[in-house]
Amino acid sequence: MENLYLPKLVTIEDAYLETPDVKSFRLVFKDEALRESFTFKTGQFGLYSAFGLGESTFCISNAPTRKGYIQCTFRKTGRVTGGLFDLSIGDTMGFRGPFGNHFPIDEWKGKDITFIAGGIGLPPVRSVILNCLDRREDFGDITIVYGSRCVEDLVYKNELQHWNDRDDVALYQTVDPGGETPDWKGEVGFVPMILEKAAPKPKNSIAVICGPPIMIKFSLSVLEELGFSDNDVYTTLENKMKCGVGKCGRCNVGDIYICKEGPVYTAAEIKKMYYDF
Amino acid sequence: MKAMYLKKAELGKLISSVQDSGALFVGPVVDAGNVVYKEIGSASELTGDYIIPVTTYKQWVFPQTEVVATFAVTKEGVDLDGVDLDPPDVVVFGARACEAASLASLRSVFTWGEDDEFYTRREDRITVITVGCTAIDDECFCTTVELSPASTTGSDIYLRETTDDEYMAVAVTKKGEAFIKAHHGVFHQKRAAEPELVELKLPEPIKGIKKEKISAWLARTDNYQSELWPRLTRKCFGCGACTFSCPTCHCFDITDEGTAFGGERRKNWDACQFDHFTAHASGHNPRDTQFKRWRNRFMCKFKYYPDKFKTTGCVGCGRCIRVCPVRLDITEVMEEISQISE
Repeated sequence: MENLYLPKLVTIEDAYLETPDVKSFRLVFKDEALRESFTFKTGQFGLYSAFGLGESTFCISNAPTRKGYIQCTFRKTGRVTGGLFDLSIGDTMGFRGPFGNHFPIDEWKGKDITFIAGGIGLPPVRSVILNCLDRREDFGDITIVYGSRCVEDLVYKNELQHWNDRDDVALYQTVDPGGETPDWKGEVGFVPMILEKAAPKPKNSIAVICGPPIMIKFSLSVLEELGFSDNDVYTTLENKMKCGVGKCGRCNVGDIYICKEGPVYTAAEIKKMYYDF
Repeated sequence: MKAMYLKKAELGKLISSVQDSGALFVGPVVDAGNVVYKEIGSASELTGDYIIPVTTYKQWVFPQTEVVATFAVTKEGVDLDGVDLDPPDVVVFGARACEAASLASLRSVFTWGEDDEFYTRREDRITVITVGCTAIDDECFCTTVELSPASTTGSDIYLRETTDDEYMAVAVTKKGEAFIKAHHGVFHQKRAAEPELVELKLPEPIKGIKKEKISAWLARTDNYQSELWPRLTRKCFGCGACTFSCPTCHCFDITDEGTAFGGERRKNWDACQFDHFTAHASGHNPRDTQFKRWRNRFMCKFKYYPDKFKTTGCVGCGRCIRVCPVRLDITEVMEEISQISE
């Protein structure tokens, strides 16, 4: 029987503590055939099981161009993420997915891309960034604006360093005023302000944005002022999910089921939705 | 297939015949003063004196709790087993035309994209025998949502009571035909004279309600912010009784039950009326007040079901009105929206 709710078993191959309450896992399927055949598209998500506690939804944060494993990053917040947080290398988890739609990066060939992320909003954007970097010649200028409340809360610190070192990526790292440390070399200020400073050109250009609602709200205004069309601004929505396949009835924003019809939408599409955020 | 007849006095024979075939026989039973659907052993348990049971028979296609997987956590890892469901045949006797229509709605959700076989396998094995209503109450409003006690949608066999204590049986589906054939000893064809049927009772359609006006009004996203929602639904305190008694409500939760060493993963009924239904772990809740949750249920019935799944979200059975502890009447909201819709 085709059991939609039966997870696949995965082993935690690597675990990394990003911040005091954010962890990243690198997962591989126990089933070797599945390890080979598993594919996904950038922007899709999965449901991760801590057996005995339940399932939680997060994006797949690596890029489909890097095969053989799944990466995820999550903050310890509730019961399930607390349980997952306690797991470590060699432990077994469950995975269901990939689910949802994806960022249409094939349509972005030749365009400049600006990534805007705040806090734990970077993991879904990272999947797109890695995908674009792995196909670097397909795209124009790549700009990344990433900020968090304080230096300690920045995720993927090693990777940020790597992006910073590349001369084909413009990286703006920032922390909220008061969140800087004495040796902080990046910007100080809220993400929308830094985005204004980075001032990406709107022509033939795409923006990908993910972060807390307040950051998204003000960054969208900045993008609008810069001249970006709502059709060129992409984000990924999230809501509480249980099934991931459009049956359990809770992730809908008005008539849109994020798990099946999302989670990736343009700002233009979001403006047409029932206001159910 | 021609109409067949079944003597009410011979229901016991039908029940035995069904049970001999290995199927469960479910029918309306009085339990603690309420009429509910229950699996029964003999005809004496059945009641014929009811408008509609308080509970639905959806629990035989979509159980209130259902194991989808079992797991054991060991030192070596996790042993995980999915359930391979082989549900029993179930015969539901004495269903009403309104809720029979709801199976198509549930199916449309559970087969949207991928099939949820926990639902489809059960629904494939259920036979619905509907009895046309000869009594109604003030809460019945099937005729307002384009159904009626004479609707056969979703029924496998449709029964009408006759004045001489029999049922006239019409097979609606192939499954119904096969059922009558399989239990042919109980049904008979021969009648001396054309039987007189007990008249069906139809609720008067509520004049102020216009379905197309409701959908036109709901289609305007600005009406999602209308002051009507908090005003009309203020008294709702989110008990969820409407959803649990609704034949088309399909929402569920997936939870692990057990210990750190092993347990089961289950699908359990859930309700969009509960405050934690959409609450994020961060504390943010897109439907943070009760009117937003009630609005979601109404939208689901009159917008999402018809538009997305091309099926009806409300069959007018009136259960949500009967069970509501604060008497929040969905037809009053339907009526007001019909009135203000251009």
